[in-house]
Amino acid sequence: MTGGLFTQLLDLACGAFLLAAVVVLWRRELAAIVRYFALQGVALAALAVLLGSHEARWDLVGVGLGIGVLRAGVLPYLMRRALSALSADGVHSEEVRETQPLVNVAASLLTAALLTLLAYAVARPLTELDPTPATRALPVGLAVVLIGFFVLVTRRRALAQVVGFLLLDNGITATAFLATSGVPLIVELGVSFDVLLAVLVLQILTARMRVAFGTTDIDDLRELHD
Amino acid sequence: MSVIPAALAAAAVLAGAGALAGIVLPYRLRIPAVGVLTAGVGVGGGTAGVAALGGSGWAGTFPGVLPLAGAAAAVDALAGLFIAVAGAVVAAVAVYGIGYAAGHGPHGLGSRTAQAVLPPFALTLVLVPVAASVSTFLALWELMALGSLLLVLAEHRERASVRQAGVWYAVMTHLGLVLLLAGLALFAAGAGGETFTALRAGAHTVPPAVRGLVFVLVALAFTSKAGALPLHAWLPRAHPEAPSPVSALMSAAMVNLGIYGLVRTGLDLLGGGPAWWWLGLIAVGGTSAVYGILQAAMASDLKRLLAYSTSENMGLVLIGVGASGLFAAYGDRPLAALALCAALLHVVNHSAFKALLFCAAGSVLRSTGLRDLDRLGGLRSRMPVTAAFFAVAALGAVALPPGNGFISEWLLLQSLIHGLAVPGVAVAVVLPLSVALIALSAGIAAAAFVKALGVGFFARPRSDRAASAEEAPILMLAGMGLLGAACAALALVPGLLGGSLDRAVGATGLPGGGAVSGGGLEVRLTGISAALSPVWVVAALTVALMAAVGLPRLYGRRRRRVNARLWDCGGGAPTPRMAYTATSFAEPLQRVFDDVLAPEQDLDVTPVRESAYLVERVRFQRRVSDRIEHRLYEPVLRALNTAGQSARRLAGGSVHRYLGYGFAGLVFLLLALAVGW
Repeated sequence: MTGGLFTQLLDLACGAFLLAAVVVLWRRELAAIVRYFALQGVALAALAVLLGSHEARWDLVGVGLGIGVLRAGVLPYLMRRALSALSADGVHSEEVRETQPLVNVAASLLTAALLTLLAYAVARPLTELDPTPATRALPVGLAVVLIGFFVLVTRRRALAQVVGFLLLDNGITATAFLATSGVPLIVELGVSFDVLLAVLVLQILTARMRVAFGTTDIDDLRELHD
Repeated sequence: MSVIPAALAAAAVLAGAGALAGIVLPYRLRIPAVGVLTAGVGVGGGTAGVAALGGSGWAGTFPGVLPLAGAAAAVDALAGLFIAVAGAVVAAVAVYGIGYAAGHGPHGLGSRTAQAVLPPFALTLVLVPVAASVSTFLALWELMALGSLLLVLAEHRERASVRQAGVWYAVMTHLGLVLLLAGLALFAAGAGGETFTALRAGAHTVPPAVRGLVFVLVALAFTSKAGALPLHAWLPRAHPEAPSPVSALMSAAMVNLGIYGLVRTGLDLLGGGPAWWWLGLIAVGGTSAVYGILQAAMASDLKRLLAYSTSENMGLVLIGVGASGLFAAYGDRPLAALALCAALLHVVNHSAFKALLFCAAGSVLRSTGLRDLDRLGGLRSRMPVTAAFFAVAALGAVALPPGNGFISEWLLLQSLIHGLAVPGVAVAVVLPLSVALIALSAGIAAAAFVKALGVGFFARPRSDRAASAEEAPILMLAGMGLLGAACAALALVPGLLGGSLDRAVGATGLPGGGAVSGGGLEVRLTGISAALSPVWVVAALTVALMAAVGLPRLYGRRRRRVNARLWDCGGGAPTPRMAYTATSFAEPLQRVFDDVLAPEQDLDVTPVRESAYLVERVRFQRRVSDRIEHRLYEPVLRALNTAGQSARRLAGGSVHRYLGYGFAGLVFLLLALAVGW
């Protein structure tokens, strides 16, 4: 693979990665959100595989493929299952849509743009240290971390919250890949396992919430305060 | 290998074994095993301290013990004095504690936690003066505070007030730690090193303003530990609520370390300072002395009385330390040495009699379950040995001959009176004033301890529990006996301590030079022409007393004696309710000091329903609350409470809001990074 092609492919993957996060903010249908999340998983896997094949490190390619299976396959599958359980009775059609986010969609998109700018501003000194194509793409990872956090703060549905959390984690993984040219297998394995468990637990919690309150709007959970 | 490290290592090993024994052993074996091992810690510490007082020193570093800085240890004569005092108190109180905890059941002091914490706490009391770097000192200081806190809380199941006292103590001691940390960190940063050697060498390079700030911070922390105003509020709460052996350890060994820290940093490490430091210290000491003993005279809780008396005695010691620094600041170093000598001797004396007082109060409490003097009385016949020990210790506390407190207060007064030769207007005003304050506090102390002894132990019992009191078991009496012997030795032959005290004073950089000398039978002051021979004082007093008691008897034996009933004005035989109680005894004194104490009175008269002129019931209630505490602490507490209540609004319960705080924090941080780069 020549250097030019590698750079273009890397930029494409990173662009898709960031775009998927922005689209998650844009769409209201939970099903669509899960779909774009899966797309982001594919982009992340492509990122890892590209980096691995460029440096001819096949363990990195393996890690990338594993990430792809987990984040584009297993996690979206789990979320879709939770979603179908929600919409099974059909009465609460509201439950499968993010009807009233705390910040509306237009403002969310603007904020995403600002957060991306912030990520680029913050990462500037880091990219100046060693300006390779990978480190130049580093702000994308940071931007996705911030956007994921933003989703967590502003979305009401429990499932949208799960997606926000996973966006955050995707962003962290991407940053790790871009900044360190490859995460050891054991570290990535541990992180992935954590994420999988977290999603399983959250899925159960979502189901319980729906049984207990009839809704998955987490703003109804107010018993946490002292 | 010299004696000091060996003795300290033995103490540490015994403390470890004691903690282990406290955790592992069952209740019956636990208390004697822990008691014996703790006594061993005390003996080890005492041996090391006496060796250091004898003139040998030791220094060592342990790089692996604390992270980053490592631990540093050094023992000189000044440290040796405090180690020896702490060791002796620990040894005697540990023996007493075996008897005390044995009858109490597996709760309170006999519990697994308390017994496991006791030996390490005793060890930290011995080891704090050994520390020779800021980090070592702070680590041991904090361990000591935590150990004492756990022990104060030992009886938390039995009384709710214990928990409240624990909260007060925890907050105040950590406030002190924060001040200490800030002060010593500032000092270490200025001096360019954190070992005491580096601090001593670099102290003169620190700018004067920083030195002043360091002294104020550190002095606040250390005077708080010593129980002096204004940060004294923990002491009258924690000392009464702790189990009595713990009160004795805290009041006789732990508060001393506040004085140690002050002498070590103020006189030794900072190398003395301008006059205003020491004038401030004398002011704090004088106020604490008078205010503490006034509160003690008003208290009807026996252990609260003793706790306030600790405040008073530490105030006197602070006057001595302050006078010493003041004389040194004006260049009169022999007089400074004498004042410090008096202060240190008073520390030793106070430890002896206060440990004994708390132990005696503890055996009263253990036997009757009462601390309220108003309900005690008549214990002299039921608990004769305890009463005798209490009397011996009270004699020391009132600072009258032949008590042991007399010698040190006499020395202190000598140094203050002869200090008038020192120039300066402030000195000319402050020294006579402090002489007056010491005299006043000694007078009120006499009233307070006459009350404690007379109302508590003489007269007739004023409650059933006081009437059915029993003498303490033999081990408690043995522990008190050791302390009583120490009191008597300090009262009769304080001259034996002369050389050791000189070396301790010399360790601060002041010339020892025999400020106090004389053989066993005499105390002679070399700087001033004054001498005192306690043995002769005691002998003269004994002869006078025997004459006063014996002559009337001899005279009376010749007369015919008729036993008849006392004329009672037709009122019937006097009942115990007619006797003086602690409250009524203190009442005249309280009237005199009405403006200072501002007691709260509450009179509630209920008339009979038929007639407003016939009274059915009168309820009278009076409370003497700690006025300084009210004025100083309550506004602060109220402000904190208001702030806390308004901060609760931040936590509304919405998950989104909590997440939003995190998000806003992160974005703010990144923005600051991006802009500030």
